[in-house]
Amino acid sequence: MAQDVAAHVTQAELRRAGTDHAAARHRRRRRNELLRHLALAAITFALVAPFYYVFLASLKNATEIFSYPPKLLPFPPYFGNYKKLLFDTGFLRWMFNTLFVAGSVTTLKIFLDSMAGYALAKVDMTGKKVVFMAMLILLMVPIGALVVPLWALMSSFGLIDTYAALILPPLANPLGAILMRQFILGLPKDLENAARLDGLSEFGIYWRIVLPLIKPGLVVLAVIIFTDQFMSFIWPLIATTSDELQVLTVGVAALRSHGGANYGLWSASAVMSLIPVGVFFFVLQRQFLARSLAGALKQ
Amino acid sequence: MNATPAIELIEVGKDYGAVPVLTGVNLTIADGEFIALLGPSGCGKSTLLKLIAGLEELSEGEIYVGGRLANYLKPSDRDVAMVFQNYALYPHMTVRENIGFPLKMAGLGKDEIRQKVEAAANFLQLGAQLDRFPDELSGGQRQRVALGRAIVRQPLAFLMDEPLSNLDALLRVEMRTELVRLHKRVGRTTVYVTHDQVEAMTMANRIVLMHKGVIQQVGTPNEVYSHPANTFVATFVGSPPMNLFAGRVESVGGCRKFVGAFNVPLEGIGIADGAATLGIRPEQVQIAPPETPQTLAATVELVERVGADSFVVSQIAEGVTITARVDAARSITEGDRVAVRLPPAELRLFDVAGLAVPREGA
Repeated sequence: MAQDVAAHVTQAELRRAGTDHAAARHRRRRRNELLRHLALAAITFALVAPFYYVFLASLKNATEIFSYPPKLLPFPPYFGNYKKLLFDTGFLRWMFNTLFVAGSVTTLKIFLDSMAGYALAKVDMTGKKVVFMAMLILLMVPIGALVVPLWALMSSFGLIDTYAALILPPLANPLGAILMRQFILGLPKDLENAARLDGLSEFGIYWRIVLPLIKPGLVVLAVIIFTDQFMSFIWPLIATTSDELQVLTVGVAALRSHGGANYGLWSASAVMSLIPVGVFFFVLQRQFLARSLAGALKQ
Repeated sequence: MNATPAIELIEVGKDYGAVPVLTGVNLTIADGEFIALLGPSGCGKSTLLKLIAGLEELSEGEIYVGGRLANYLKPSDRDVAMVFQNYALYPHMTVRENIGFPLKMAGLGKDEIRQKVEAAANFLQLGAQLDRFPDELSGGQRQRVALGRAIVRQPLAFLMDEPLSNLDALLRVEMRTELVRLHKRVGRTTVYVTHDQVEAMTMANRIVLMHKGVIQQVGTPNEVYSHPANTFVATFVGSPPMNLFAGRVESVGGCRKFVGAFNVPLEGIGIADGAATLGIRPEQVQIAPPETPQTLAATVELVERVGADSFVVSQIAEGVTITARVDAARSITEGDRVAVRLPPAELRLFDVAGLAVPREGA
């Protein structure tokens, strides 16, 4: 009987100790979560604050920008900077040129890179490894080293100051083909074999089987190429001379050097420049949900 | 049933540079036959299947499919359909599209494709899954879709590359029966690659046993099991494998005997004196009470109970054991002294090269 009571007490104590322990663990978890959220909030602030500052500056006139203390919510907002940017500068033309060049390069490169990637990953051909190594080495050559020979080449073709000068050179960048090769290497050989038995040609396999399966990879590549082209500065600066062919980066830089210190206008150009990239990314990120390889193979 | 062989392989060889994968493969597969290519991993069975399908290039020899030389035919022109080890379903297509894809590629009209796809799907009990994607199906259903994609083409031959190897044990047994039923109903030649001897023994009309790129034996499951062509077949087929004992054949006083860890008289086996290997299947080994005449004295080392049967491993000489398959109801335990009887008619003898020596009159 005494033993039973002792056992009973011990059980009760253990239960209580267990409850205390669980409560302590819960408190510790909540504290850690709070710290994590505080750290995330600080990082978010550090990332968003500069953009918000630029956005505010774009909605202020020259006097308000330097007023102290700064206004966190400019009311009423001043749209003069945007009006000036859109109607008194070549901004819309620059935007069109940029979208046209970035869009063309992205579309063409998606096809060329995926085809090259397929060939490098799946087609048996002599010298494949040498070609791949050459592409890897080329990836390490900085743009500065390529600018002069590239300009000479374009000039000899009479393409300087044309859209072709802006579109053709980026197509030779091997990064996309290397990325696509890695994506396509992951596809099982049996899928190609099944397609071959079903009567598909090599191009048919690429077009009807491989391309739909690497859609997420294509989206990643498209985002990389588009943003890279959108922000490209050195080559467009060198390859074009006329105002009609200037792209956004070159035009905005010219705005700074020729238009005096107009911070409101600069801020408005920065905000407007971000819109197409944001829209492009927003549209394409939904494609990340494309049907993946799940279900193709035994698991 | 057609007199022309469905598939004929003549001196087929395949190498990858200096590495030979298949050597001198000769095989004739009759129309409507279910052939199993059986062998351990890396023996070349899957490569042989891919050579027949045209997915690998021949190094030497000739392949005839339906009486036509197929060496230079494209895979899609060989009139064969393949079911892959990994189902190889197109993940971005529905079941309907997957099954209908080969027909679409063959240029059939939409209505005809729809009819054939629905007929194949109903045949394989996939009617309700036609508009689903592969990742929404169970393993067995995916397997059926892969089969559907093959049968919808109504090819001359089905080539199956270990199609059940990744299914769980229960589903595998179920699918095994379904495949056999399918073969009986469709009646097409089937070449089935497997490393699972149970699959080969239970499904095939004939087994082609391969090792290191060479065919070791071609025969019915019974022939391969009961009359193995060599020691490799004797040990690869059967679980537990055939008991093998190294020794010599000697003539003593007009009688021929196998002399090794133990001596047994040989009856009806014509072999010259010299090194040899004696074999006997575990179920032919008889366990008798100790001191039974004309037996070998043995001590039971291990008893493995596997349901209806038990495998009794007994020591018959220093370092030499023999496995017997006995009824699980028999009360034999480790340490028991027993007598082992080897029925002379069940003994198999292999020469110094490991090749089976035929029994006289056989």
